[in-house]
Amino acid sequence: MNDPGKPISRAYDEIVPATASELARLLEKNSSGERRPLLPVGGRTALGFGFPIARESLEVSLGRLDQVLDFPARDMTVTVEAGCRMGILQEQLRQEGQRLPIDIPMAHRATAGGVVACNPGGPRRFGFGTMRDYVIGIGAVTADGQPFRAGGRVVKNVAGYDLCKLLVGSGGSLAVISEVTFKLKPVAAASALGWACFDQGAMVNDLLTDMSTSQARPVAIELLGPKAARQISAESRQQLPEGPLLVGVGLEGSRAEVDWQAEVVERELRAGGANNVVWKEEAAAVAMWSALTEFQVGAESAVTFRASLRPSRTVEFMTAAIDAGVAVQAHLGNGVVHGHLPDDTLDVGRACSIIKSLRAVAVSGGGQVLIERCEPGWQPELDLWGTARGDWELMAALKKELDPGELLSPGRGIDGARASARPIETNEVGVGG
Amino acid sequence: MGKSNDTSAGTGGISGELIRRFQAIVGDDAVLSATDELLVYECDGYVVEKKLPDVVLFPGSTDQVVEIVLACNEFDVPFVPRGAGTSLAGGCLPVGGGVMITLTRMKEILEVNLQDRFAVVEPGLVNLHLTQHLAGTGFHYAPDPSSQGACTIGGNVATNSGGPHTLKYGVTVNHVLGLEVVMPDGRLVELGGATEGLAGYDLTGLFVGSEGTFGICTKVMVRLTRDPVAYRTMLGIFETVGDATRAISSIIGEGIIPAALEMMDQGIVEAVEAAYGFGFPLDAAAVLLMEVDGLEVAVDEEARRIVEICDQAGAREVRRAETQEERQLLWKCRKQAFGAIGRLSPSYCTQDGVVPRTKLPEILEFITAAGERHGVRIVNVFHAGDGNIHPILLFDERDKEQIARVFSASDEILGKCIDLGGSVTGEHGIGVEKISFMDRLFSSDDLEVMGRVRAAFNPKGRCSPAKMLPVAGACGMEHIERSHPGKQAAP
Repeated sequence: MNDPGKPISRAYDEIVPATASELARLLEKNSSGERRPLLPVGGRTALGFGFPIARESLEVSLGRLDQVLDFPARDMTVTVEAGCRMGILQEQLRQEGQRLPIDIPMAHRATAGGVVACNPGGPRRFGFGTMRDYVIGIGAVTADGQPFRAGGRVVKNVAGYDLCKLLVGSGGSLAVISEVTFKLKPVAAASALGWACFDQGAMVNDLLTDMSTSQARPVAIELLGPKAARQISAESRQQLPEGPLLVGVGLEGSRAEVDWQAEVVERELRAGGANNVVWKEEAAAVAMWSALTEFQVGAESAVTFRASLRPSRTVEFMTAAIDAGVAVQAHLGNGVVHGHLPDDTLDVGRACSIIKSLRAVAVSGGGQVLIERCEPGWQPELDLWGTARGDWELMAALKKELDPGELLSPGRGIDGARASARPIETNEVGVGG
Repeated sequence: MGKSNDTSAGTGGISGELIRRFQAIVGDDAVLSATDELLVYECDGYVVEKKLPDVVLFPGSTDQVVEIVLACNEFDVPFVPRGAGTSLAGGCLPVGGGVMITLTRMKEILEVNLQDRFAVVEPGLVNLHLTQHLAGTGFHYAPDPSSQGACTIGGNVATNSGGPHTLKYGVTVNHVLGLEVVMPDGRLVELGGATEGLAGYDLTGLFVGSEGTFGICTKVMVRLTRDPVAYRTMLGIFETVGDATRAISSIIGEGIIPAALEMMDQGIVEAVEAAYGFGFPLDAAAVLLMEVDGLEVAVDEEARRIVEICDQAGAREVRRAETQEERQLLWKCRKQAFGAIGRLSPSYCTQDGVVPRTKLPEILEFITAAGERHGVRIVNVFHAGDGNIHPILLFDERDKEQIARVFSASDEILGKCIDLGGSVTGEHGIGVEKISFMDRLFSSDDLEVMGRVRAAFNPKGRCSPAKMLPVAGACGMEHIERSHPGKQAAP
């Protein structure tokens, strides 16, 4: 084991299989021979995520497995190889009036296998759900070279264990994904985002409550702090209202649906205390969706985190983060927050102090703060996943069953978390809490 | 680990000592062990295979479930959870005997949080009771299996149940946020929770649909869904099954996602009509029950496009439910279609296959031919929009020869679903009924990896042994009979 203080950020060798069976053969060969640790690599957009790789690894590049294998458009499913670039795939789907309705940062580089393993999402998760709702079939190879599949190519299927769910978000720590089948949705004919500023958190909470009984059905409810608002405004080249708390409500559907809902939402925003509502439509809306998706990977900040909160506790967390100078974006309807620590976070002590105070707010409402990226060497002190949870032991048991030799992305997922976390605190809120 | 060799008392392989232990845990009135009392539990909705449990317990709390599981471990006996027993695939069949843990007394709604859109319920809560409890709030629980008036949410979690409205809203797994689970070794763990995007593996998603083989869920945290503002419900009447399936294919192919898209063929329409008298035409080959929902401003346009597509596919007519009462009656006909089958036949076996939606015409032709080949009457009522077929094979369970022909026809139909790129179950589960298909649908590598995943949850195989995977439970459970004992018929 290497010194954890000196993480290996980059592996030295790579293998680039051209087919799934070659991938299985190479992994089997490694497993029965040198037994080098393996790091599956797609579009290299999320390699800096989470715990550092604990040992010098052999990169397994899925770059040549880049084919769309089957796109029966009238069945609204698509099967692709893991190295297929998401941007290219979305373009192909769009030509048939379809899409995978998940906001994926750096989609032109990100690959299908990579996004399944890393499970990114964006503003429209409120309306469309997340990756777990769209992966209906999967093919993968274990570290010892055993290829396996689960699910299938039909939209409804309960045969066998749902290993698709297990591999979504597994971060390359359980198996190397070789193939994915997604179910698809039609593209929306029209889309619009309405923006309004609010002075106080209480107003935003009231608005959120009102929107939960709105006649409209937004696909996104966003809340931006001033720093995030400036970044997203610059990135999208769209002028946004300026104020302490900026709320954005996203709509999609037919032209008639969007227009009707825009009227309803504008009324509700004004009733909630907004003086002005600015609408972004068509090309402006496209630019905004993109900027809202890229924010989570956009800044070169010392620490980037993601918080999981109850929607009703999100405004409180946002206020605390804004007060600490953090650039924050909330997918408010879902309680998911992306944050970049301020530029003057020059040392790990300062970073820890901000994260500790935000964690206290998150945990008091049953939430979690997960450090996605940080300066090399800061990981041990920042305690990336926070306090241990009761189901980690089970996660470790799964890792042990599927990768007993600890060859896949060593130190990356649950192993790294268990090595660094504090023990469970009894006041955590879980199911029924 | 202590183990009792006293099997002289009590039933089957359960010792008197263990029975007394159970009585101490749950109380005398929550233990059934006399053979005549156990008969009700010898099968579920899949009536062609039967096996008595040795004892049936009705715990009233999570603590009691933990105590029961610890006792089962101590005495080395297998156990199987059960909800309302509506499984159509033998999901609750106690294959190796042992202890049946029935969760129907744990039926409380523990929390409803409309602001964060979730509810926490006990597993024995009847599915429909949650939605009834939520009436007037503007929210509902979306998965709506046809048996929703009887089936439990815990059972829905075990089988990842669907229902007519899952076409648009997703199946059970899309609506479960977290679980409290008594693990097969008696540990209590919480999976997932009310906040999205927690770090680590999605154990909640993995647990849903594991058919009782990963542990016993004792609390379920479900997502609540906004009620649609408006509905349009239509009944398309077709001269041929081919016309109806073409209409289905075109609706999906055009990018319209109805809230529901259900088909009933002539055979089932006859039964439904005799039972409910809605006025379905008895001479039509197929009817489609089609519903769009959403914003008032959008539903008329979607409904118009659907009518147009049906017309192009050769529909005789498309009727619209003009009132809420008409809509409810249409849905009652659909959801209680199974109840009406009693008018056609003393026994029936409901199959559950899936094909890509564009293959529906092909599979329906095959079903008709398979029925003719084997001399079995088959009627169809199914979730057409998902490609999820439910051929219902009619027979008399007193006639063993008929049962053999039902098995042959079922096997051919499911085999054809696999050949067409589909699956042998869309929502009922593998249970014991379909275990012999697992090695046709999956390779030995696939099954071996699934076995490893099960071993992480259930290493000793005591919890729901011989289910889901076509191999013996795990080490220590070799004495349990292999599932699917030659598909024996009911005695």
